[in-house]
Amino acid sequence: MRALMKEPKAIRLEERPRPEKKTVLEVVDLVKLYRGAAVPALNGFSVSIGEGGVLGLLGPNGAGKTTAISIMTTLLRPTSGRLTLCGVDVLKNPREARRLIGLVPQEIALYPSLSARENLRYFGRLHGRRGKALEGRIEECLEMVGLEESADRQVSTYSGGMKRRANLAAGVLHEPRILFLDEPTVGIDAQSRNLILENLGRMKERGMTLVYTTHYMEEARQLCTQVAIVDGGRVLAEGPPAELVAGADGCANLEELFLQLTGKLLRD
Amino acid sequence: MYKFWATFCKELLLLSRDKGGVLVLFVMPAVLVLVVSLVQNNVLEATGEGSIRVLFVDHEEGALGEKIRQGLLSSGALALVSELDGKPVTDGVARKAVSRGDFQFCILIPEGATAALHRRAGDFAERAMAGEGEQATSGAAVEEAVPLTVFFDPTVQGVFRTAVTSSLERVVQGVEAEEKARVLSASLKKSVARILAPRLSPMAVGQALGEFPDLQAAWGRESLLAVRPQVAAGEGAKAVLMPNAVQQNVPAWALFGMFFIVVPLSGNLIRERQEGTLQRLLSIPVSSGSLLAGKLLAYVAVCLVQFALMLLVGKTLLPLFGTPVLELGDQIPAVAFLALCAALAAAGYGLLIGTLVRSYEQASMFGAVSVVVAAALGGIMVPVYVMPKAMQALSILSPLGWGLEGFLEIFVRRAGFLDIIDNALSLLVFFALTLAIAWASFYRRYRGGR
Repeated sequence: MRALMKEPKAIRLEERPRPEKKTVLEVVDLVKLYRGAAVPALNGFSVSIGEGGVLGLLGPNGAGKTTAISIMTTLLRPTSGRLTLCGVDVLKNPREARRLIGLVPQEIALYPSLSARENLRYFGRLHGRRGKALEGRIEECLEMVGLEESADRQVSTYSGGMKRRANLAAGVLHEPRILFLDEPTVGIDAQSRNLILENLGRMKERGMTLVYTTHYMEEARQLCTQVAIVDGGRVLAEGPPAELVAGADGCANLEELFLQLTGKLLRD
Repeated sequence: MYKFWATFCKELLLLSRDKGGVLVLFVMPAVLVLVVSLVQNNVLEATGEGSIRVLFVDHEEGALGEKIRQGLLSSGALALVSELDGKPVTDGVARKAVSRGDFQFCILIPEGATAALHRRAGDFAERAMAGEGEQATSGAAVEEAVPLTVFFDPTVQGVFRTAVTSSLERVVQGVEAEEKARVLSASLKKSVARILAPRLSPMAVGQALGEFPDLQAAWGRESLLAVRPQVAAGEGAKAVLMPNAVQQNVPAWALFGMFFIVVPLSGNLIRERQEGTLQRLLSIPVSSGSLLAGKLLAYVAVCLVQFALMLLVGKTLLPLFGTPVLELGDQIPAVAFLALCAALAAAGYGLLIGTLVRSYEQASMFGAVSVVVAAALGGIMVPVYVMPKAMQALSILSPLGWGLEGFLEIFVRRAGFLDIIDNALSLLVFFALTLAIAWASFYRRYRGGR
């Protein structure tokens, strides 16, 4: 299928001066070849993001976004490459790196038979929080995602949107330096999506660095200070959304640029 | 430690919300202990201590039938039924009732049985006195043995057939001995008269015979040898408890229930993988050891509570249904230690299955079936000593068998700590092995990167 695709012209705007502060995440030349796979899932994948920035990873299905997030959050080891988080070598000191990160996985990574509060309490304790400080932080997070009223109901009784919001709360409970979100708004109603995006915007304003994957271009345009269009395990274009669009011939928006770079063939 | 406790508490909370899991862990073994102990208690009674209802059809209503009836009733092994719906049971009705399964046995006394018995006994005595010895028993002129037929339901198992026929044979032997004594007494008088007749006057012979004592027929019934079943114990050993269904079944089914922890435990691990919580847990700065230990020890605690509950059933609930009370003996620390080893082995096996299999369906199916197989091999359902040799050899591979052997040592043989150390060590080695394989598999798949 890839052979039918027109080889896209890589667009790099990295040489331009960036408004972001010091680099929080630096990924260099990641390669990931799964056991038994003929083609690497990541093949020279490189991105970086500064403090308070929001990096959107855009790509069709199978492009390598989730693999990249899994490596950046220490869940997978790459075949080769380098990765630093706030100066910590993630591959050498994964445990140290875990202190800096928060993860909002694609799945609702919560115990369905526990309430949102019980889930948050457990994950908070694993992060070393305890007592009144923990309970206070749980209240804040529940309020932030609009679940304070239903905090004591089992997660299994929640709607899709409520589950996504609870999932976000569990990811930010311990106030991480950098938050990774894997398609955090997929399959939910407009209201929940709006609330999640508002929250992400507030976190960005407070200086939290965000890395997230999405299929929604409009969402990426609104939120991201930087996007990386990924396909075939590598970054085809990276830079601030407006500048990427402006720099591409015949593209009026991010979606057109995305299709120009990744092609219109369906991906399974 | 704090993170370990957080995981420990979370696991207990999760289990408490899993109604199906709680049923499997607590209600199922309690019901098994209750039902199987009651059923087997009845089986033990049926094969010796209690009574089986047996149809008794006496076509003759003579002395023989009455003696057999009295003998069977006094043995307490059988309850005889001679009437159905207020009418005497006939041959045909009895056969139908047994073939339908309404009764499992019918004893049939044929017409003319008493007379035939007398004739046969007299014949034997005559021949014996005439010095024909053993040949007399095979002589053509001797009347055939009186047939006492026992019909039985085809579904009745061998052990019960043997129990009923043994009871009947015991009574019949007594009746035979009594009859033989009676005819021997009469024949003896005749022989004495024949011997004295050429030497003494008829009057003197009559006088001598008058003084010759009659043999008391009842002596034939009296036992000369007494068989006394007694539980074996080594010299200087502590008093050994008479085994019963409760002593065997409570530890057996409690162990079975403990090993069923594999279903909720492995299911829990698989759900964590499938629902993404494992992903979140692995991205948190907490050691896999804390997570694993918290999870493992929560289930071990549940196993121990489960075991204590089963002992409580044996102590308090079963006696309400008429069974003997479970005797724990005085080695409570040894019981607790062995229970802990069994709980660790069960939890280790659950971890192994949860780590190796891919889906909840596989885990629940394989976990449950493997525990049932291990239980069967380990003597939970049928004692190992009655198994075929090949199965007995396989039974040493069952962790449930190790546990059960240890508990029976303590509960029945009154063994102490040192006597069960092999069983406890076997369970601990099993735990260590399952844990090591589970850990290696988990580490290879998750922590070490794929």
